[in-house]
Amino acid sequence: MNRLRSRFYKKDDLVFISHLDLVRVFERAMRRGNIPISYTQGFNPHPIMAFATALGIGVSSEGEYIDIQLDERLSPEDFMQKLNSVLPEGLKIMQSAYIPSSEDSLMSLIKRSIYIVKGQVNVNVDRAELEDKIQEFLSLDEIIEIKEKKKKHKNDKPKFQETNIREGIYQFDILSYDNYDIIFKMNLAAGSEKNLKPEVVIKKLAEITKLPINLESVRVHRLELLKEQMGDLVSIMEGVKSI
Amino acid sequence: MKLEINDMLFRVEKPARYLGNELNSFHKEVNDHTIRYAFSFPDVYEIGMSHLGMQILYHLLNKEEDVYCERVFAPAVDMEEEMRKNNIPLFALESREPVKSFDFLGFTLQYELSYTNILNMLQLAGIPVLSEARGEEYPIVMVGGPCAYNPEPIADFVDMVILGEAEEVILEVIKLYREMKAKDFNKRRFFERAASIDGVYIPSLYEVSYKADGTIEAISPINDKAPQKVTKRIISNLDESFYPEEIIVPYLNIVHDRVMLEIFRGCTRGCRFCQAGMIYRPIREKSVDRLAELTGKLLASTGYEEISLASLSTSDYSKLNEIVRHLIDEYEKDRVGVSLPSLRLDNFTFELIQEIQKVRKTGLTFAPEAGSQRLRDVINKGLTEADLINAVDKAFNLGWSTVKLYFMISLPTETFEDLDGIQDLANKVVDEYYKVDKENRGKGLTVTVSASTFVPKPFTPFQWEPQNNLETIYEKQKYLVGKLKRKGITFNYHDAKTSYLEAVFARGDRRLSKVLVQALNEGCKFDGWQEHFNFNKWMSIFEATGVDPDFYTARQRSYDEVLPWDHIDVGVTKDFLIRESEKAQKAELTRDCRTNCSGCGINQGFLGGIC
Repeated sequence: MNRLRSRFYKKDDLVFISHLDLVRVFERAMRRGNIPISYTQGFNPHPIMAFATALGIGVSSEGEYIDIQLDERLSPEDFMQKLNSVLPEGLKIMQSAYIPSSEDSLMSLIKRSIYIVKGQVNVNVDRAELEDKIQEFLSLDEIIEIKEKKKKHKNDKPKFQETNIREGIYQFDILSYDNYDIIFKMNLAAGSEKNLKPEVVIKKLAEITKLPINLESVRVHRLELLKEQMGDLVSIMEGVKSI
Repeated sequence: MKLEINDMLFRVEKPARYLGNELNSFHKEVNDHTIRYAFSFPDVYEIGMSHLGMQILYHLLNKEEDVYCERVFAPAVDMEEEMRKNNIPLFALESREPVKSFDFLGFTLQYELSYTNILNMLQLAGIPVLSEARGEEYPIVMVGGPCAYNPEPIADFVDMVILGEAEEVILEVIKLYREMKAKDFNKRRFFERAASIDGVYIPSLYEVSYKADGTIEAISPINDKAPQKVTKRIISNLDESFYPEEIIVPYLNIVHDRVMLEIFRGCTRGCRFCQAGMIYRPIREKSVDRLAELTGKLLASTGYEEISLASLSTSDYSKLNEIVRHLIDEYEKDRVGVSLPSLRLDNFTFELIQEIQKVRKTGLTFAPEAGSQRLRDVINKGLTEADLINAVDKAFNLGWSTVKLYFMISLPTETFEDLDGIQDLANKVVDEYYKVDKENRGKGLTVTVSASTFVPKPFTPFQWEPQNNLETIYEKQKYLVGKLKRKGITFNYHDAKTSYLEAVFARGDRRLSKVLVQALNEGCKFDGWQEHFNFNKWMSIFEATGVDPDFYTARQRSYDEVLPWDHIDVGVTKDFLIRESEKAQKAELTRDCRTNCSGCGINQGFLGGIC
């Protein structure tokens, strides 16, 4: 089985397309690029491809991953060249390698996500105060986010779920602060067990510490997705050698 | 000047609607000689992008080196709010530049309930809505499409109406514009000269007078350049006519998200309620060779996984078997699905359908339109109960278990007995299912019965007919709800109020323009959308403007009444429509005009000779 794992970026205008849109863009690009992708059997054959996560609308990323199964083996270079020539501007395969068929799915592999998050404060706060507030925020044992659960039926009563998001924050730093603009770096839980969105962290930060952050101004960029390998957290492509 | 909309895109739903950089879209350099055309669809992106005509004209216009055609859709309500709040005028998607400075703004009129959106878009663009208020600095507002055959309700807002198939005439208009622009252009002279191009109607060159009873006295040209009657345009040879080899592929999942391959224009069936069947005459097919060539190019340039054969009645294409076979043989290995919409069940080719199912499974839809044989004869839907039952019998035996049945209620001469016929047919379909052995039939029978409300349309044999009043329609809907309560049957019906408003504008005249202006002022838009449509507001607008909507919907018109669209010639003669109307009253059928010319008039003057 020819299983190809690739890293790609999604940026500029393409951040505004949804995950489902992205799936279609890939499917159609495979056709236009004559890439011999494998299909599922049955009445509604679908190309066999799987993504690591579904990136939210508006979020850019240089750490997106996709697994694709091919009927014929192309060299990873050839694959990248063919696919990149038909992908729209704003989407690009950066790295590709064949993986064993026994390899875990991307979705089950990922543990962490590293983000760069930009935001603005409405009124100027000095840097020390900003740092203090973040320390205050991180010193909490519990940061509870209340989320409404999806209703099974339209007329169901709303149900709420409480999550302690503090457990999902592994790193939360200020990279820069200049003239109302703050740039944060975050290392957050990602994957099927625990998943935390940076927008939620910022929202909670503003809520708890009363930092005057303009939530509408928040822009999120994913730098990298990490998996666990021999106890270390490493990039998804780490240790993947073309077989 | 490119507008800055990036921040807004973070705040609105489905921002991909506004990107403008989809695959196969055009991005041209603009210079002093560029003719800028905004192809405008007065509904949201997902609806507009599903429109084949837009894809054709977009690519046709952009083939002209000095023409830059871009797309404009009605911004969704959340986007419009953002735009108004941030002083962003209506812009063209590709360049993100305001359409106010364009040369042309061309709206396609697909349904009457989009008229308020047109006005709203003009307002959002900062363009005066009334044609007479637009000076030389504003774009020329042009309309076309099926509702343009009676453009009178919006005549005061538009400068030019394109009648019929636009591929040739639009280039003629552009050519004239280009020539005049190079010398000393002014709108008035341009419209006068354009009026002599076949298929171009300039409403401002005509005057309408009314009788004391409110009916029309006469519609007369007030300028010697304007013809007495404006004739629609048709393309005589579809194989030689332009068809795009690449179409824009949206990011969003739109309504018709696939390659649409037009196989023919026109329809020979002559269903008496159907405006498309009359206005798109005569029948003209594309050859299998041309279709095969286009398919190859379109699939390669789009990467689409599905192709749909587009026409008014797919199974009437004379080489349907050949083209479907070709598509399967050539593209099955690539898992390209084929869908055949608008299939009639009287020549339903099951073998073909089964072939298609090998690749992708699609639903089964039948449109008997009326419940009783008598009423089906009235509307000239030459289809019998036996046809339907045979078809569903075959379908159930082949494993289908989902069937949709489309009906229309409140058709002329309809009684409650005809409605019983709908129940009867639905029951018989369910019975057919249970006749099939349990092992052989699909699981979970769903028969969806949909009933829309009949809207009398111009240029049909029913153009003189009244529409049922709302109380009668409600009563009929309620009656059917009671009749269709069986397990396995789901009954849907459309909101009658929108059909009522549609009926007002479908056969409306110029006096409705003040109603539309008032509707704009009161914030009416997206009237075709249940969640935006406000019937009570419309009724108060009619009252405030002194226009009686029932004048348009409830009146039986006489054959000698001057109709608001009488100065427009679609090729089908009034004599023919009267003949058909008379036959309808007697429930007499008219044969398919492939087998027997029914003398509609289309072959006199348009093509000369045979259809």
